[in-house]
Amino acid sequence: MYYKKQLAVAIAALFPLVSAASEIDGTVLNVQGKPVAGAFVEVEGKSQSVKTDKNGQFTLSELEPGMTKLHIFADGFAHLHQQLQLPESGLDNYLVRLNRSAIEVIDVVSAPVHMSVMESAIPVNVISGESLRRRQASTLGDSLEKLAGVNTNYHGGVASTPIIRGLSGPRVLITQNGLDVGDVSRVGPDHSVAAEASTATQIEVLRGPATLFYGSGAIGGVVNVIDGRVPVDNATRGEWNLETSSVNDKKQASFNLTSGRDSVAVYLDGYWRESDDYQVPVAPDADSNAQGDDFTVENSAEKSNGLTLGASYLLDQGYLGFSVEQFNREYGVPGHSHGGENEEHEHEEHDEDNHAEESVLADLEQTRIQVMGELALDYQWFNKLTIRAAMTDYEHAEIEGGSVGTVFENSTEELRADLHHNEFAGWQGGISLHYKNTEISATGSEAFTPPTQAQTLAMALMEEKHIDDVLFSFGVRAEQVKLSADRVFLPHLGLHQHHEQATDEHEHHAHTDAEHTQVLDFTQVYDVEHTFTPVSLSAGLVWDFVEHYNLGISVSRSQRAPSASELLSFGPHIGTRSYEVGALFTLHQHEDESHFELNQAAIALETSNNIDLTLRKTQGDLGFVFNVFYNRVDNFYYQAATGLFAEVSHQHGESGHAHEEEHAHDEHASELPVYLFQSDDVILTGFEAQVAWQINDEFKASAFSDYVRAKLQDGGDLPRTPPLRLGTQFSYQNEQLSAHLDITRYQEQDKVSGFETTTAGYTLVDVQVAYDLSLLNQDTALYLKINNLTDEAARVHTSFLKDLTPRPGRNITAGIRGYF
Amino acid sequence: MKTFHLNILAAAVSALLLSACGDAETTIVERAPVENEADYNHGDDHQHDDSYEIKSAGRLAVLTAGGDEALIYDLDDASLLDSFTLSNASSTLSSSAGFRYAVINNRAADQVEFIDSGLWREDHGEHLHDYKQAPDLSGYKVSGSRPTHLVKHDEQLAIFYDGNSDTGEAASVQVLTDADIANQTENLPALNYSVNMHGVAEPHADHLFASVRRDDSLSTSANKVLPDQVAVYHLHDDEYEQEHIFLQTCPDLHGAAQNEAYQVYGCSDGVLVTYQADGAYASAKIDNIDALDGLRVGSIYGHHEQGSFIGVASQHGGGSAVLVQIEAGEQEMQAIDWQPQVDAHPVAYSFSAGGEHFLILDNLGYLTLLSAHQHDDHSHWQFETRIDISEQDIADMPEGLSFEMTVSQNDDLVFIADPIAQHILQIDLETAEVVRDIELNFAPAALTWLGIVDD
Repeated sequence: MYYKKQLAVAIAALFPLVSAASEIDGTVLNVQGKPVAGAFVEVEGKSQSVKTDKNGQFTLSELEPGMTKLHIFADGFAHLHQQLQLPESGLDNYLVRLNRSAIEVIDVVSAPVHMSVMESAIPVNVISGESLRRRQASTLGDSLEKLAGVNTNYHGGVASTPIIRGLSGPRVLITQNGLDVGDVSRVGPDHSVAAEASTATQIEVLRGPATLFYGSGAIGGVVNVIDGRVPVDNATRGEWNLETSSVNDKKQASFNLTSGRDSVAVYLDGYWRESDDYQVPVAPDADSNAQGDDFTVENSAEKSNGLTLGASYLLDQGYLGFSVEQFNREYGVPGHSHGGENEEHEHEEHDEDNHAEESVLADLEQTRIQVMGELALDYQWFNKLTIRAAMTDYEHAEIEGGSVGTVFENSTEELRADLHHNEFAGWQGGISLHYKNTEISATGSEAFTPPTQAQTLAMALMEEKHIDDVLFSFGVRAEQVKLSADRVFLPHLGLHQHHEQATDEHEHHAHTDAEHTQVLDFTQVYDVEHTFTPVSLSAGLVWDFVEHYNLGISVSRSQRAPSASELLSFGPHIGTRSYEVGALFTLHQHEDESHFELNQAAIALETSNNIDLTLRKTQGDLGFVFNVFYNRVDNFYYQAATGLFAEVSHQHGESGHAHEEEHAHDEHASELPVYLFQSDDVILTGFEAQVAWQINDEFKASAFSDYVRAKLQDGGDLPRTPPLRLGTQFSYQNEQLSAHLDITRYQEQDKVSGFETTTAGYTLVDVQVAYDLSLLNQDTALYLKINNLTDEAARVHTSFLKDLTPRPGRNITAGIRGYF
Repeated sequence: MKTFHLNILAAAVSALLLSACGDAETTIVERAPVENEADYNHGDDHQHDDSYEIKSAGRLAVLTAGGDEALIYDLDDASLLDSFTLSNASSTLSSSAGFRYAVINNRAADQVEFIDSGLWREDHGEHLHDYKQAPDLSGYKVSGSRPTHLVKHDEQLAIFYDGNSDTGEAASVQVLTDADIANQTENLPALNYSVNMHGVAEPHADHLFASVRRDDSLSTSANKVLPDQVAVYHLHDDEYEQEHIFLQTCPDLHGAAQNEAYQVYGCSDGVLVTYQADGAYASAKIDNIDALDGLRVGSIYGHHEQGSFIGVASQHGGGSAVLVQIEAGEQEMQAIDWQPQVDAHPVAYSFSAGGEHFLILDNLGYLTLLSAHQHDDHSHWQFETRIDISEQDIADMPEGLSFEMTVSQNDDLVFIADPIAQHILQIDLETAEVVRDIELNFAPAALTWLGIVDD
């Protein structure tokens, strides 16, 4: 039967004049019965899609008769899924009514199953368009920090990485158009993310385990930065922006352009940004009593630019394209030699040699080539193939006092192919094949991790099915991760304990001679190969239990292979001001002497068992999304203080002989606290809430709140966990003018780990006004933003530099933006 | 209540999912340990000034008579560290510009190979970082047609490939640093000629002073394979581009040297001097002096600490030699009386590490030391002493071999390889005494000192 239909289609294709296919003519209306222009009508499971005209009308042609599923969506409206029996004669005057949604609903692109804030079992945030432009900052973490469940690890404004539900680093994967961004931002908080928000068109955040879609590195979540670098159509359009800010004298320009003709589409984007050290309302150093109103965070200037060129060949059944990107960023690393949770140990010494510090600059450069393609298939089993591949070459040099201290390199090749199958017994979905090869090396004084190759090969299956009012989904992914390093060093390290306990903050100056262990004069070298087979499983459902409401449940078990830096590190990491030792090693205590040796215990996979519950109101003038989660992570790798200190000669600002005398009294100037990676079971619980109320066509009020509690199962809290937040937004929008007022309250964080201090709460007020000029028939808007209107002194608990780099003071930004 | 509810759910989910597999496997192979790059613990006094520096006398690379094996000796304890079989037999051994690598030039095989001595220094910004590791034959090789003259200057090594008229291969130059060898740089800065020549190139930061062979109809050289002009090339994207050509000719150019200010080249009619004056390139010619007695300067030695160059004029293929002191600035040349013995034919020349001495090793087994003396603002090179380095009958010298020497770059020492006695003598130049004898069980063909240069 099926075969015959295929045959019919094949024959029909041979005789294009004979129309055997059906057509739908229809209109999209809102609840008041007014037409909705610019709404998208998609045929689910196919690549067919049309946009409604100004009368809300659309025509879908060349459809296969029979059961057809439509997905209809438009800005400001709830997405609608319609299932219909399409007769061979087609349908005329098919009416669709869209309900308003107070919460912006944008689909996650490039996932084999349908995901959005309102419709998926797992929680997602997607920002695009105007709301992305309003939030975008110089760094990725700062751009996303006002999304529910997402915080920034604010690293002095120059680098930041998103923290999702309290997790970050190797647990949050940053991707660019669905593929690993290929930088070293997962290794150190002072390493910038090589992705840019100002040229992006959409940023998606998957909160909670997303290993199913993205693999091992996504156990805590994913941030996917999307732009149009590989164009999928050639309608001429573009966007440009000029902006300047007062707090750091920032100047920024960016643009993107898509065009083409016939079967060729081309894309170009670029950005340029330069900023100075930023001003803060208080003395940057938390221990300073200095008064005044002219403080800046030294060495927080940034300079970056990027250019991306792409082109595609458009086919009837899809497209194939490529892009090349060059990305450059140069930034100061403020407080480079201070950061870290051991701050308490350092202050008194450092107050004296602050001025002798030499500034550290990071200079990063990345070249990225991407190939993307999509092809609609006409096979019995499969209907669509998408292919994404990327080759990335990344280099990042840390320049100390004018000469290169450490060079980090990352070379990544990645290939992902998703094959979508035809609906089978009501199930839609596909299989995904994924290969990734990453070679990371660090050379120089901060080379704490040996050169490592990580190869990942994975296969995943994702499926979903509607049964009455319930959407069921499940997925499974099996992965093989091979980590090899042929020269892992185990040096004999001069270790000693301080006589006073490490937790004693105030008396450490009194301690006397350090106890040094004997030093052997050779370094052991190992050839290490780890093979991990993480398996992830996930199941979920979304139940529309009452009209306009749904309930989502998602359960998952995800596994992650520990990263090279968590396993193989052995050396000083200046970014976190600690001596890092990986989990491959263990501390051996013998009478008074301690030394590191190989860990004989098996290296275990980190395993997350997660439950998410979501309650939503999806349509109407009032909308909300409430999430609660429970995440138990077994073998959670984290750095634990050993209480030992390592002798390290690496000194910043050591500029000659005069310095020795300055240091003569200073016993600990050349030592770092030793942190050993170990694993324990951890429980994370928390919630996110978002409520929005569209008061009338112009006014809207919304609020969000989030909280996470991260504790070790055996007692104790994890460090740098975000505090409870509450935020509100009031907005006004008419044809010409839009205004937004954001008030965000960060509560005090007093759930701290051993070496951390509590962080006071604070409130940030931001306002923004934009005025539409419509110059030359183009969409052009002037805007004015004031961030931190009250000039509040705020320190970020999740930052490694919280005691050195407060948030910027009042910042006035003016800019102009245009679309065409 | 909420927590309780969640816990029940968690338990249910765990039971459901724990059956799924997840596996981890680790393989660790211990490799040979390396000597520590630096002493981690430097006592309680927290002196940081030289904590990363290594005191080592250095290492010696020695080539066997067959030329197919290179051995590395540790000079701290005179022990053999390792030996390496070379891909091609060679008799030409020298060091890289930074003295980290032994450079083995296989002219006939069109290839240059490198052995990592394992000793080197990196500049880590606020400190110098020394490394001491096991020697290793580098997988890195550079190739070109007939590599012949290897010239070092200020961290750069220029390899001049003569090219081959029989095969129609043109001459070329490649310039590399120790970092290029360490990083196995694929695209080295290069100069490509359109003809073959027996030429020479002097690297000078981003510039290259290199010989130019003109069309045979224009060339003033008697032997046309020898160039007769010099040009300056400037590096642009791995390619040297001609920036200036000196019009003053240098017929039958052979031999060159440079110091910070001047480049000098041996010509059949004298010595060509090139330099920069007021931002422009200039040249001068020093005519041959009578003391040369019809010979021409064919090799020139320079040292960055020395204003004067020393030129050697000898019969082609060896023989007695006339040494001249060349003052490039004054454009003067004068003979050096090195008081040669009858039938003494020099086999090797070298400046000492600090430039205070000039050493002449001859076929009779004597090392002659010249030293510079100041006379009215001029240094004047003269005979200082002569050391008898061999008690053997020089008639027993194996065919094709000779005495060879190399100087230490961090001590006032010279090492002389004796193929008859099969040993290496270490001579202290300050006291002019043999201070050590390293026994070999083979006849050495060549040797070179490697290690960390004492700045």
